[in-house]
Amino acid sequence: MRQHGDTTEIRVSPAHLTEVLRRLRDDDEFRFEVLADVAGVDTGDEMWVVYHLWSALSPDWLRVIVDGLPRDDPRVPSVTALWNGAEWAEREAYDMFGIIFEGTRDLRRIYMPPDYTSFPLRKDFLLPDDAARSPGEGFRHMEQAHQPAEQLRDPRLRRSRVD
Amino acid sequence: MADRNNVRSLDDPNIWVDTPATIFDAVPPYPPRTEREAEFYHLRDGELLINLGPQHPSTHGVLRVVLKIDGERVVDLDPVLGYLHRGVEKICENGDWHHAISNCDPLEYVASLFSEAMPVLVAEKLLGLEVPRRAEYIRVLTWELNRIASHALYTGWQALDMGGLTPILYGFIERDEIVEMLAALTGQRMLFNYLRIGGVNGDLNHDFLSRLGDWMSHAGTQLEANAQLLNENEIFVRRMRGLGIVDREAALRTCLSGPVLRATGIPYDVRRAHPYSVYPEIEFDIPTRAEGDCYARFMLHLDEVRESIRIIDQVLHEMPDGPVMAKVPRLIRIPPGRAFIAVESPRGQYACYGMSDGSDQPFRLRIHDPSFFNLQIMNSMLPGNLIADMMAIFASLDPIMGGIDK
Repeated sequence: MRQHGDTTEIRVSPAHLTEVLRRLRDDDEFRFEVLADVAGVDTGDEMWVVYHLWSALSPDWLRVIVDGLPRDDPRVPSVTALWNGAEWAEREAYDMFGIIFEGTRDLRRIYMPPDYTSFPLRKDFLLPDDAARSPGEGFRHMEQAHQPAEQLRDPRLRRSRVD
Repeated sequence: MADRNNVRSLDDPNIWVDTPATIFDAVPPYPPRTEREAEFYHLRDGELLINLGPQHPSTHGVLRVVLKIDGERVVDLDPVLGYLHRGVEKICENGDWHHAISNCDPLEYVASLFSEAMPVLVAEKLLGLEVPRRAEYIRVLTWELNRIASHALYTGWQALDMGGLTPILYGFIERDEIVEMLAALTGQRMLFNYLRIGGVNGDLNHDFLSRLGDWMSHAGTQLEANAQLLNENEIFVRRMRGLGIVDREAALRTCLSGPVLRATGIPYDVRRAHPYSVYPEIEFDIPTRAEGDCYARFMLHLDEVRESIRIIDQVLHEMPDGPVMAKVPRLIRIPPGRAFIAVESPRGQYACYGMSDGSDQPFRLRIHDPSFFNLQIMNSMLPGNLIADMMAIFASLDPIMGGIDK
């Protein structure tokens, strides 16, 4: 738990996520009733899912980070049972990062076509014009973003330097 | 023979004719991916799938909705998004922080000062940058003008989608005056690209101020006159009242925001719930309505326009002198960190979660678009309604596909 300006941040493991969010929403001392955002993040080493909550009782945003998800098989319980409005946000995180939300009824791609195989917002998915930015990397086609596991840890890829 | 693509001719039952692709295109050519999809595409007796969109005039852009109908009633629906997906978040990660401003501009293309504020406010928060007070007042002024321009268009759309052709013409008169005014200030009519990290692109000029003065002198009466076209029109009111009701609990659980949420009686407005810029110093109310139906949402937009005029009035009276840009270097390297900001756009809470890794490019820029979340209420609200009413309900959610599809 830490403080970033007007945002309090807590980190939970996937196993405790649902319970933590349920307590935050329903307990009278918290009342975080507004789920402001659900976002997937690829830090280059691992996957995160970031939730932002708002409560009338506190002037702060509350950020709940589920971290340490392995990049090859990120799995998180779905929060659609608590906020059914998270459904499309979870579909988007699945579409863009390949994060699997367990327990949702309708986890399919939302933006990309159904026969698409890559996850565009992952850090190892390079756009064609990235060739100019990565010396020696050359041109890589967008659809070839599925790399063997060693290459996923390519040191040349951008990594988050925030802990 | 009879397969999905041909049917018996009405003239001669022995002749099989190809059907227009539009009818059967609704059935996906791939096996169902989820339980829900399988259930949706399983048709019971008397049910029919039709496509609405993606080029339907009342889907406000390129939303495609596959409707399962029984007669005139909607039984179920499956919105298909992504026709306007440009990958703005990915593009932002590949340009620097200044590029992100113009990349985020076309997200909310009806009120783009709100979407272009996203990378600006995140960068300022990550840098801990103090923005000059005059710049903050100019931002609030342009935001509120843009809100009125967007709401004026909404009132026209709402009527247009229900078959009333006149109000949108009046809505556009209102919008055009504001948009031309902002064009005098920013150089653009739609995608302003006006906000900068640390301030705004230029100080208020004479052309803008004289247009603003002209407009302010008649704005109140003109808006009331436009509103009376509709809000006392018996056909309109009867059609809208009791239609598409959202209750408070469902609104919170579906992560709604903006007028759709406030029309259910919840006074959640980011300008007050989590104040930003100079809103804490400005006096205004947050209008709410208790009914939660289409009519409440429509009236709420009119109430908000009145509040916005009140805000503009105060801003013009209290506008301080001074610089409009903080001292910021051209090449911004933002220290590693993460920040979350939100503003109240005409459609609700426009939020952004930004991460920086210390380089000049955003590491992650997640844009939360309110229409994307507001649109989800369709899934629970529409079944049971007539197709014609669906248009009215859909328009009352006021979605902007540029932001929904990102």
